[in-house]
Amino acid sequence: MAISLSKGQKVDLTKTNPGLKKIVVGLGWDTNKYDGGNDFDLDASAFLLGETSKVQSDKDFIFYNNATGGEGSVVHTGDNRTGAGDGDDEQINIDLSKVPAAIQKIDFTITIHDAAARKQNFGQVSNAYVRVFSEDSGAELIRYDLGEDFSVETAIVVAELYRHGAEWKFNAVGSGFQGGLAALCANFGLDVG
Amino acid sequence: MGINLGKGERINLSKEAPSLKKVGVGLGWDTNQTDTGYDFDLDASVFMLGAAGKIPSEKYFVFYNNLNSPDGSVKHTGDNLTGQGDGDDETVLVELSKVDGAINELVFVVTIHEAESRRQNFGQVRNAFIRLYDQETGKEVAKYELDEDFSRETALEFGRLYKKDGQWRFQAVGQGFNTGLQGFVEKYYAG
Repeated sequence: MAISLSKGQKVDLTKTNPGLKKIVVGLGWDTNKYDGGNDFDLDASAFLLGETSKVQSDKDFIFYNNATGGEGSVVHTGDNRTGAGDGDDEQINIDLSKVPAAIQKIDFTITIHDAAARKQNFGQVSNAYVRVFSEDSGAELIRYDLGEDFSVETAIVVAELYRHGAEWKFNAVGSGFQGGLAALCANFGLDVG
Repeated sequence: MGINLGKGERINLSKEAPSLKKVGVGLGWDTNQTDTGYDFDLDASVFMLGAAGKIPSEKYFVFYNNLNSPDGSVKHTGDNLTGQGDGDDETVLVELSKVDGAINELVFVVTIHEAESRRQNFGQVRNAFIRLYDQETGKEVAKYELDEDFSRETALEFGRLYKKDGQWRFQAVGQGFNTGLQGFVEKYYAG
């Protein structure tokens, strides 16, 4: 049975699940359906961060156009409609044992593509969640439902995996930004010219 | 450079800093970055405890609405509403020689204003610390960085200044509570 978190909550991941190495972070959402207008294109990304909560290079920004990072330990698999991934819109696979030591935190975000031009925001998105499950067993370990906290935001830092001593922990962050992916990149020290 | 304290550690100020009379107590924190939603308003408060671990009167609860203790020993320099910026977010000035003889202990707590309705907790707060410095020289005497990984707590006891055998000491506490300022008032005020 997975632990359901509330905003801000932090829980142990590897301490309570000894031997856990390969995890999948699944992110999902529903968008309001209406005729006409633009399609919704939501993107999940991961930022691989050092001690100061900044990326060390643009290679540490993992998204659909840079799907692998952290020396191969983090892989964005995109849509996965089969098996254990049922329901997730996008997934990111992580081998915790292979994440380079310089990477202290991994932040997971959801952004709305072209939000400003399409006049879209998270007020039109419902049932957004992030969950962590074991790649080997498929067992869901942690789940954080974002609820209806968001309205004008176009980008959300959903959650953070972080090192705590020799273990990995999970923080249900839920921080919203209005500036889309650009605001997130600035927050994480990534220069997007 | 002062002494770095770990959770639970104590120092004897009379020994480590014998010339210390006017103590500056700086409390600081950073909150998660976001550009929407509510501001984080964290409040530092002091409970000045006498016999039986209670405040002798409500005026010995020093906070943003009662900035000075009746004995004139403790002065809260005011509320910082956003926690923005480096360094100390809130400061409490303590003149040890003026502390009323009936007071044995000063407890420094930090609470999140309207934590419940804003759905905020210490899981969204990082880099919290409490430090003691000499107001006259500016020199830091001791610092405690609360490196514990707090989660759903909405109130934290950072540290306490207490008198033992006539000497002032400081302990790094770092204890979290799922309560608010009212919870501390109930704990420390006999009414």
